[in-house]
Amino acid sequence: MSGDTAVRSGDTVVRSGDPIVRAIGLAKHFGQFQALKAISLDVFRGEVLCIIGPSGSGKSTLLRCVNQLEKVTDGALWVDGELVGYRREGDRLYELTESQIARQRLATGMVFQRFNLFPHMTALENVIEGPVQVLKRPKAEAIAEAKTLLARVGLDHKADAFPVELSGGQQQRVAIARALAMKPKLMLFDEPTSALDPELVGEVLTVMRDLARSGMTMIVVTHELGFAREVASRVVFMDQGQIIETGPPSEILTRPGNPRTADFISAVIS
Amino acid sequence: MLNQAAGRETGTDIAHLRHVPRRYWGRYVSAGLILLFLGFLVDASAHGKIEWRFVGQFLTVPSILYGLANTIIMSILAMALGVVLGVIIAIMRMSANPVLRAVSLGYVWLFRGTPAILQLLLWFNLALVFPTVGIPGVWEARMVDVMTPFVAALLGLGINQGAYSSEVVRAGLLSVDTGQYEAAKAIGMARLKALRRIILPQAMRVIIPPIGNEFISMVKLTSLASVIQYAEILHNAENIYYANARVIELLIVAAIWYLVIVTILSLGQAQIETRFARGAGRRGTVS
Ligand SMILES: Nc1ncnc2c1ncn2[C@@H]1O[C@H](COP(=O)(O)OP(=O)(O)O)[C@@H](O)[C@H]1O
Ligand SMILES: [Mg+2]
Repeated sequence: MSGDTAVRSGDTVVRSGDPIVRAIGLAKHFGQFQALKAISLDVFRGEVLCIIGPSGSGKSTLLRCVNQLEKVTDGALWVDGELVGYRREGDRLYELTESQIARQRLATGMVFQRFNLFPHMTALENVIEGPVQVLKRPKAEAIAEAKTLLARVGLDHKADAFPVELSGGQQQRVAIARALAMKPKLMLFDEPTSALDPELVGEVLTVMRDLARSGMTMIVVTHELGFAREVASRVVFMDQGQIIETGPPSEILTRPGNPRTADFISAVIS
Repeated sequence: MLNQAAGRETGTDIAHLRHVPRRYWGRYVSAGLILLFLGFLVDASAHGKIEWRFVGQFLTVPSILYGLANTIIMSILAMALGVVLGVIIAIMRMSANPVLRAVSLGYVWLFRGTPAILQLLLWFNLALVFPTVGIPGVWEARMVDVMTPFVAALLGLGINQGAYSSEVVRAGLLSVDTGQYEAAKAIGMARLKALRRIILPQAMRVIIPPIGNEFISMVKLTSLASVIQYAEILHNAENIYYANARVIELLIVAAIWYLVIVTILSLGQAQIETRFARGAGRRGTVS
């Protein structure tokens, strides 16, 4: 991060509105390889942003930067009004400590392609783990809330099942409940249905659709164009680490402005 | 052939036939050979010059039981120290902090690279280098008083064990999917909490079998402490046979007790393994 420019652009950012995510000139390098190039993006509260794009285009990396599973190498990123990974004092940016980063992460919930449930805990224990261990909530309260959340994803009857005893779709729904239990302001989904058998995709999308209707701000990386068309407020098309175009789903998915977008969409549909 | 037969048979034809289980000839043959060998051993020991009477007599004399207790205490304490150090060293090894990583590497290099008996002798003879220990002016003691055979054995065996345990723990930590670290971070857990709550419990399934193995080694390794006059079972057995010359009988007494401890430990290990198999679909047999 080149300190001075980031701070100056930071001043204009804070004045010019209140998006929940703001990226300006964001870049991510893995050694010599540049996975994200000059990403600038605003995501507003209540919005459902779908990110589409070919494999390796940097979609996961972008999500992982937002909740700091990856460290940004250039540019600046704000989540929920806070500069990600740094604290500003005067004209300096101080790198945050690990516990401060953990606190910043609480603004976001993440759902992974491969579920990543904790296999040694039951569904219910998975859901209460964060509230009890991180938020220090009383266990009884956390259990009551977890049961409500499991009911919301249609799995109240599986509270005592271990992940191995659940289907992929059920595991992913528990994972959504686990993320929601932390009461995040923003939910990140990284191809949440890509690891599922086709007949299980629907149940997860239904849960996500309900979540979107309830007003949750969501960034969803997905190849489910039908879901994007129906639920997204905006669609972002990425290729080779860059945002190629952004717009409402009706526009991007039916009349894409860029030939690369058009190629990708016809490849996914066929 | 096979195809023809299959072609002729229909489901109703074979549905009523009796099932004859496969015969495991290899099992019968190997069991027979082993029985033969055991018979030979029993015969040899009956005709050899072993007075089994003395074995029975010395099995429970106070000096032997005292040595047995010391062996058990030292095994448990040294192993506990070894596992605690092993976990700390393994976590340091996987830390992002290069200083911690270097310390961890150096520790393993030093204590795995020198014989345990040498380390025991060094600890025991520390007074030759540092005649006194403590904080000058606050508290001080003579090293010979502090570094008793018990303390020297505990430090020597425990610290040496820490080097080996750390590699076992590290293998366990590495066996856990990186997605688990990420999921723990994503719900706001800090590194140490994620290790304790999410990663270590899963790593345990990989760690326990080799640690059980190491524990069993430790029980036998405590016999090394006899060289620094720690009164463990072998040391006390030796003292008895120096007096009465019943060498083999007393060695057999010690051997019996070692086998008893190790048997109990093996049973305990199976119990612990079942506990940490929580939520794991796969069980221990390879079929
Ligand atoms: N940890 C990493 N180390 C090196 N390269 C990586 C790493 N993570 C991702 N990449 C590379 O960055 C690019 C973007 O990856 P990713 O964000 O996972 O793409 P997508 O999710 O769009 O398929 C890919 O070329 C990938 O190989
Ligand atoms: Mg991806």
